[in-house]
Amino acid sequence: MKISKRAQADAKSLLRGCFADGRLDEGRVRRAVALLLEKKPRGYLAVLAHFQRRLRLEIQRSTAIIQSAIPLSDALAARVRTRLEAAYGAGLQFQFRADPAWLGGLRIQVGSDLHDGTVRGRLERLQESLSA
Amino acid sequence: MSNLLREIEEQIAGAKTSVARHNVGVVRQIGDGVAKIEGLTDAMLNEMLDFGSGVIGLALNLEETEVGAILIGDCTLVREGQEVRTTGKLLQVPVGKELLGRVVNVLGQPLDGKGPVAATASYPVEKIAPGIIRRRSVNQPVQTGIMAIDAMIPIGRGQRELIIGDRSTGKSTIGIDTIINQARLNREAEAAGDRSYRPLYCVYVAIGQKQSNIARTIHVLEQNDAMAYTVVVAASASDSATNQYLAPFAGCAMGEWFMDNGMDALIIYDDLSKHAVAYRQVSLVLKRPSGREAYPGDVFYLHSRLLERAARLDEKYGNGSLTALPIIETQMGDVSAYIPTNVISITDGQIFLETDLFYQGVRPAISVGISVSRVGSAAQVKAMKQVAGRIKLDLAQFRELAAFAQFGSDLDEKTRAQIERGKRIVEVFKQPQYRPIPVEVQVAVLWAVQNAFFDDVAVERIKECQDRLTDYLQTRQADLLGRIRREKALGDDLTASLKAAVTEFKSAFK
Repeated sequence: MKISKRAQADAKSLLRGCFADGRLDEGRVRRAVALLLEKKPRGYLAVLAHFQRRLRLEIQRSTAIIQSAIPLSDALAARVRTRLEAAYGAGLQFQFRADPAWLGGLRIQVGSDLHDGTVRGRLERLQESLSA
Repeated sequence: MSNLLREIEEQIAGAKTSVARHNVGVVRQIGDGVAKIEGLTDAMLNEMLDFGSGVIGLALNLEETEVGAILIGDCTLVREGQEVRTTGKLLQVPVGKELLGRVVNVLGQPLDGKGPVAATASYPVEKIAPGIIRRRSVNQPVQTGIMAIDAMIPIGRGQRELIIGDRSTGKSTIGIDTIINQARLNREAEAAGDRSYRPLYCVYVAIGQKQSNIARTIHVLEQNDAMAYTVVVAASASDSATNQYLAPFAGCAMGEWFMDNGMDALIIYDDLSKHAVAYRQVSLVLKRPSGREAYPGDVFYLHSRLLERAARLDEKYGNGSLTALPIIETQMGDVSAYIPTNVISITDGQIFLETDLFYQGVRPAISVGISVSRVGSAAQVKAMKQVAGRIKLDLAQFRELAAFAQFGSDLDEKTRAQIERGKRIVEVFKQPQYRPIPVEVQVAVLWAVQNAFFDDVAVERIKECQDRLTDYLQTRQADLLGRIRREKALGDDLTASLKAAVTEFKSAFK
């Protein structure tokens, strides 16, 4: 238990050290992991596991996933990028995914913020409101 | 029909226009009715979370990277990796008079097969208790119909009186008797068109009880026509710990509605020991630090915030009240255990039931010595105060003397008389279950005992004498009982009539 708490604290401070100018620095992350694997301090595997989890959450927080029924045109994708960067700040990673199941519209998720404007989402909401 | 069309059109229009913004998370771990969710950065404490397919959760732990939530509903439908949304709402239950006569679960959904509950209003399950400005002290009685309680441990509307004792000592029976008596009083007042009488509505919360017990309780209430004024909230032993933890709060919200709308309500939590156990389970699964007996540190706050919601409101704020009768089960009569001491210190008195008395045939098995009502005497009917003022002391002295008298037979006249009177009082207070006694009959019988009318009756015939006196008063002296009920005090005139009636009865009693 104590090791786990210690590992969590170590992973947290390690990740904090990987930031440069308020952004996650990929180089520092790689160096930190390599150093950990090389030195193998006590409980390093637990630290790595916690570090990986925090890193995943951090990447999620700065990743915008844009889903649509058909692939977006370059112009539209650029507009979406600009608007999202204006709202969430620079440094966002963008992932565009096309899935016909959405039927139409856009579904944008940044971290735990979800903006759902898809036809399927609207149909689901309609179904919920009618069945409530 | 046109309304329906318009409603659907509005719903379609609402669904068409805006982009929905949600705060979402992903279920990472699920088990024992508790889910750990990553994401949900905007989740608030006690907020309802939507897991989809009708399952909802309650955010109880807000941690740095995850949210710990308890699940309400079928948790087998929740899968790892599933999306969860915040709703921005607190957990709410339906409230109102439509719930009377119904048996509902913790969400206010019907369990009695009588169709949906038609309630239109809803209240949050967790609510801040009324503050000091809105409160006033108790001044109206709750007639339990149990002579020993109404005479010695009176309960007022807005009071919190703990019923405590070992298993099967008649704790629930006191609660059920009280409900039955309220139904009787409410019905009588309705039939007589008495608008000055404030009906007392009852909420019975069954926590962690066997389904068969709950069914039996409901059956008893139905047999005595008490369901019409009662709401039963059931979270049985087979329900999840989450439901058991939330049930008293849901019941309290239903009772609060009556209080906030200027009415009087009574709530029985049966029982808070099982509630504490359910909360301990939820807390341990949520990995909250445990304290004494593995209960979490906030188990005192859990019960204090629940019982603080019982109050008597000032006339400016509607004059309503919520009386709470929490029940606690002790182990081997140990009132100094963790949960009993907590609840004793929160409530305004306790009715302690003893196993020994129960098996001696003293039922209800109320231990007079350590049962108290700290505020109830202010609400006691004056007539009862006149006849029962000294009875608690007499009975306590009798117990002392009876223990002492076991060792020798050389007793002076005064001591012997005290013991004989004590034996008769004990007999008079014996009362079968589900047979509450109207307060005017209680006053008349106690007056007869205090004025030595029972002294020449053999102890084993006291009960018979009492029953026949009650019959005589109810059939031949109904006017006299009516006067006691209306005047609520024994004046000289009334005392003389009572004396004449009891003397007449005694002359015929052989």
